[in-house]
Amino acid sequence: MSSATSTATEPMGRFAGSSKMGLAFGVGAVCLIAALAGFFVGDASAAAHSYLIAFAYWVGISVASTIMLAIFHTAKAKWPIVLRRTMETMGATVPVFIVLFVGVVLGLKQLYSWWPESPLAAHIEGIEKVHLGHKQHGYLFPTFFWVRQAIYFTVWTLVSWRLRSWSMKQDETGELELTVKQRKFAPGALPFLALTITFAAFDWLMSLTPLWQSTIYGAYYFAGSFLAAFCLLTVVTVLAQGKDLYGSVVTTAHYHNLGKLMFAFTAFWAYIGFSQFLLVWIANLPEEAPWYGIRIFGAWRPLSIALVLLHFVLPFFTLLSRNLKLQPRKLMVVALYLLLMHWLDLYWLVWPAMTGKAGPSFHWTLPVAFVGVGGIAVGFALMLARNKFTLPVKDPYITESMRYVQP
Amino acid sequence: MEAKVLDSWVLAEFATPDILVDATNQMREKGYQGMDTYSPYPLHGGSEALGLPPSRVPFIALGGGLTGMCTALAMQTWMNTIDYPLNIGGRPLLSLPAWIPITFELSVLFAAFGIFFGLLGLSRLPQPYHVAFESEAFRSASTHGYWLGVPFAAGTDSSETMNQLKALGATQVTIVTGEKE
Repeated sequence: MSSATSTATEPMGRFAGSSKMGLAFGVGAVCLIAALAGFFVGDASAAAHSYLIAFAYWVGISVASTIMLAIFHTAKAKWPIVLRRTMETMGATVPVFIVLFVGVVLGLKQLYSWWPESPLAAHIEGIEKVHLGHKQHGYLFPTFFWVRQAIYFTVWTLVSWRLRSWSMKQDETGELELTVKQRKFAPGALPFLALTITFAAFDWLMSLTPLWQSTIYGAYYFAGSFLAAFCLLTVVTVLAQGKDLYGSVVTTAHYHNLGKLMFAFTAFWAYIGFSQFLLVWIANLPEEAPWYGIRIFGAWRPLSIALVLLHFVLPFFTLLSRNLKLQPRKLMVVALYLLLMHWLDLYWLVWPAMTGKAGPSFHWTLPVAFVGVGGIAVGFALMLARNKFTLPVKDPYITESMRYVQP
Repeated sequence: MEAKVLDSWVLAEFATPDILVDATNQMREKGYQGMDTYSPYPLHGGSEALGLPPSRVPFIALGGGLTGMCTALAMQTWMNTIDYPLNIGGRPLLSLPAWIPITFELSVLFAAFGIFFGLLGLSRLPQPYHVAFESEAFRSASTHGYWLGVPFAAGTDSSETMNQLKALGATQVTIVTGEKE
């Protein structure tokens, strides 16, 4: 406790910027160009699906960070304030995804059978064609699709930048009203964030198989993204050691809480995943069952079982340990592992739509697109953090947050 | 002779929880053992000050949870496949997905039982009699008093202990002697 108080009195400077920013942008750009080449020269369908996984992975973490931030504001939480700037930065990277969305747009025909003139629609016949027609008439048509995308990115950008700019302004002025503004704005924004991420999941991922629907699908995508956001926050916090970086004032109690939240949302992911599965499995309706049928029987079966064991059972029992959650380095290893599992989860959601009964396969664009989108996103986040404080230095509760102990 | 049937404690009251925790720390460092703290609400840093080992409740909870899980799976397997097999919509008799909710609930229930009864057992509660109850003033521990109890062998001299407690800021110090639990 005393050490945290003494560090608080040391002046915390602005983040000078990281040499890794150029590296992230460079590697990201090279990988994106490679993925683009893969799309135009190689297997366009595989490249488009790889890119979609990567895009959904990184933008999900960004939006989940904004939701996390808004929830903490809504609860008027004081303990996470030392971690808040990182959440704000992660959330504020969302505009770069508007640019990165071009990659998804390029592959629309390869991805979605409902898109006009998609070659995938050739396989849909008979009554299914009629059903698809209904969906294309009411929801899955280009104009409405564009309008929805515009709404999602507008809401995400508006909320994340609004909260961040108030928080940054407080770094200069220290006005108490800015805290009040953030805490009034955040709860109002939450329903919009919840609806937009739900419908984004419907549009980008669920409509890969347009004849199948699940109302909880958005929550499933959110659960995975939210868990990944906590993992990334943990990794960044552990790595943020050194001059002018907030990692030095983060205490064991904060890591313990991050570990507890990772644990909780590992369970939450499994809970939502199972809720979706049980209803489909027990009803066993012809229009619902095939989505799971393809995944739990045949070539996809081993991966589906592995996902339950590796994304839930193993991390659940690992994170049960109190000791582990008190050790930042070890917690970071678990966080990195879960970040990898989140990718596997999205692969499991997207890839079967392409390969079908043929089962899991590897394509070189999978890692390339992942690093490409990730590199640009991380580079942009580091750019946003440059010349800024790495924690809200003049927040009225900052010292309370640094002195936080377990209640 | 007396030490076999009698239990003696020095009880000291402190004005605030912080002084109590501080005093407990110092008494422990001086080598006093078997002490206990009493306060109307959970004491921050109390167990650390007493030098208590990590709680065993989590392991009891885990044991309870696993017992609940096995009980639920065994119960459903027996009921659905042996005792009363029913064909429901052509599903296999052993349908794990349908059993998960009950397995989950029973795991939680048994883990909760483990925590509740494990905690009671480890804290040796309910405790209808304790030597400290011999002191009338000690009643304040359930309303506004912060107490530290230091055990000593009945019949030995406790004035040194009492002086040290007073030096650490105790507002009142008393000796209680009664039957062993």
